[in-house]
Amino acid sequence: MSAPQNEKRKRGFFARQSLLSRYLLIVLSAFLFIPIIIPLASMIYFGVEAFDGQTDRISLKYGNANELEAAWHAEARTLHGADADEVDAKLRELKAKYPEASMFWVDADGSTRLRLPEARSGVPDRWTAAEAIRFMKSSVGSDPFTVVAFLGAENGDGAFMALQMPRALVEGGVSGGRGTTFIVVFIFVTFALFTALSLWFFMHIRKRLLLLQAAMSKRDEHGLPAPVEQKRPDEIGGLEAAFNGMVEQLKAGRLLQQEEEELRKRLISNLSHDLRTPLTVMRGHLYTLAKENLSGKGKASLDTLERKTEGLGALIDNLLAYTLMTSGRYKLEPEPVDVLRLVRESAAAWYPVWEKAGIEADISLPAEPLIWQIDKLAFRRILDNLFQNIVRHAASGKYAGLYVEEIEGRVSLIVADRGPGLESGSMVSEEKGAGIGLAIVDYLLREMGLHWRRESSEQGLRILIYKEA
Amino acid sequence: MSAALLYIEDDQEIGAFVAEHLRSNGYEVKWLRSGEQAVEQAEGCQLVILDVMLPGLDGFTVGQRLKKAAPERPILLLSARTAIDDKLQGLQFADDYVTKPFHPDELTARIEVLLRRSGAHAPDSVQIKHLLVNEKENRIVNSETGEEITLSGKQFHIFKYLLRHLGQIMTKEQIYESVWGEPYLEGDKTLMVHIRYLREKLEKEPASPEIIETVRGIGYRVRA
Repeated sequence: MSAPQNEKRKRGFFARQSLLSRYLLIVLSAFLFIPIIIPLASMIYFGVEAFDGQTDRISLKYGNANELEAAWHAEARTLHGADADEVDAKLRELKAKYPEASMFWVDADGSTRLRLPEARSGVPDRWTAAEAIRFMKSSVGSDPFTVVAFLGAENGDGAFMALQMPRALVEGGVSGGRGTTFIVVFIFVTFALFTALSLWFFMHIRKRLLLLQAAMSKRDEHGLPAPVEQKRPDEIGGLEAAFNGMVEQLKAGRLLQQEEEELRKRLISNLSHDLRTPLTVMRGHLYTLAKENLSGKGKASLDTLERKTEGLGALIDNLLAYTLMTSGRYKLEPEPVDVLRLVRESAAAWYPVWEKAGIEADISLPAEPLIWQIDKLAFRRILDNLFQNIVRHAASGKYAGLYVEEIEGRVSLIVADRGPGLESGSMVSEEKGAGIGLAIVDYLLREMGLHWRRESSEQGLRILIYKEA
Repeated sequence: MSAALLYIEDDQEIGAFVAEHLRSNGYEVKWLRSGEQAVEQAEGCQLVILDVMLPGLDGFTVGQRLKKAAPERPILLLSARTAIDDKLQGLQFADDYVTKPFHPDELTARIEVLLRRSGAHAPDSVQIKHLLVNEKENRIVNSETGEEITLSGKQFHIFKYLLRHLGQIMTKEQIYESVWGEPYLEGDKTLMVHIRYLREKLEKEPASPEIIETVRGIGYRVRA
């Protein structure tokens, strides 16, 4: 296998560092739980049991049941062809060896011979087939533990000897329930271990995911998330690496955006400068010209020129301001402001201009403040544009009205004039100039969550500014 | 009157014209093509007219330096940039702001207002209708009768504030907050009462005032 393939495999499903492989390991152990753990538990139990047996033998003075049985049979074999006295002697010898046991022997004719201890009851004197079977049946699995061995080589003679030993002496204190308890406890512990393991596994993943989530939602001073530390090369580690890559891209993007914004701003500034400088020069020369002796006709065209120059300046300003605003360069900072106070101050600045143009100002604003959430500079600009429009497009009405009315349940600020209104033909040629100014009004009001409406009639134009209830 | 003005403008044509215009209006004009020497040259000038689009140092930096050197000397900004762009950073140090193309008369009017407001170039006395007001000596004399008019502290403050903004309309809030130094509460009649007393002392016919003009719906104005 070539190196890259190797690399690829390492990153694959069963890579050591993969969360999946670790998870599969846990699942696998869960599957192994039943078929392997139970026999394993038994094996461990019996292993321990075997070890326990060793210790039992030390504690049992005659060895365990099997050993005692084998020993009894071996003794019986030594009595091959022995007469009754020899058997009696042997039995007495054995009684000395096993003092707790009771024993007897029966000759080939079925008569019970020596019983030890001699007062022992429950053993028939004459053994019939039925007696023998009854004795055997009652002895199986009961206490005392009974061993019956036929005498002679291969234990083949008709005579037999029996040994009855209290079961407690040949079996340790092991109860039958001990093994079950052990297995149940073992399985339970294993199960708990498995549960704890999988729980730990998921808690660990969860913790890392939560950390990553926290890192993603945290923003630095540029509004970008900070890169995270990549701790392990597994899937979440990969996610962290991908996230870091994304943050890098975002940073690069933000930088590019800032550069472009800067470029755009500079371009607009330069353009503004380049357009306004000649306009200023023109205006200066118009001013100088106005001081010369001019005919009435000359003065009239000079007036027109002056008005147009001024209009052009305002148009450039509005156009560039609009470009800057809509590109998000102009950040509004709305705060609770008494709108009427702002209107009064703005009207105070415009009053001399209106006076000069012969416009009568009709201002009746209530004394109580009208608090709206607005950006002061932006609202002033809105008013400037509206008041400017009155001078430029509605001076013929000789009227500028500023008042507050409740219309359809909404408190509305009204800027009214008695000019030709919107539909009038005389407005058309100037409409473009007013258009950009009103576009700014529209944009700024919308940004501050305010609404506006124009009502044009033969009496003039009414502009209503209100807050949606 | 002759106030010394420092005028910083890089454009030859505009500079020549404006300098000439200001001189013909009786000002002493020092015209610099760049902002390098601005702080040194501003010594002895009562006002600075600053173009924000300068080669080398930009107008904002120059403006901030000038303001730091002499905080009370007014700075009038001339700008060829868009208003919102400059308004954001410009007005923090500038006392007023004129956008190009401007009308030459507007420029001189603004200069007058700034000079009067700063008090640096206030003429010793000013004649308003039948009153001769000497701001330095805090004296008001009826020039027709030769009588001196005494005002209470608040009355004098109100009148002085309106004089500082000669020809401008000031709202009730503006006057109150400047004179009393606390926010104006709607419905407060204190200012109106003071204006009434002030008129009784100053006006020939307090019922139809000529000195302190009421601009209906907005505020008050004193015109020269």
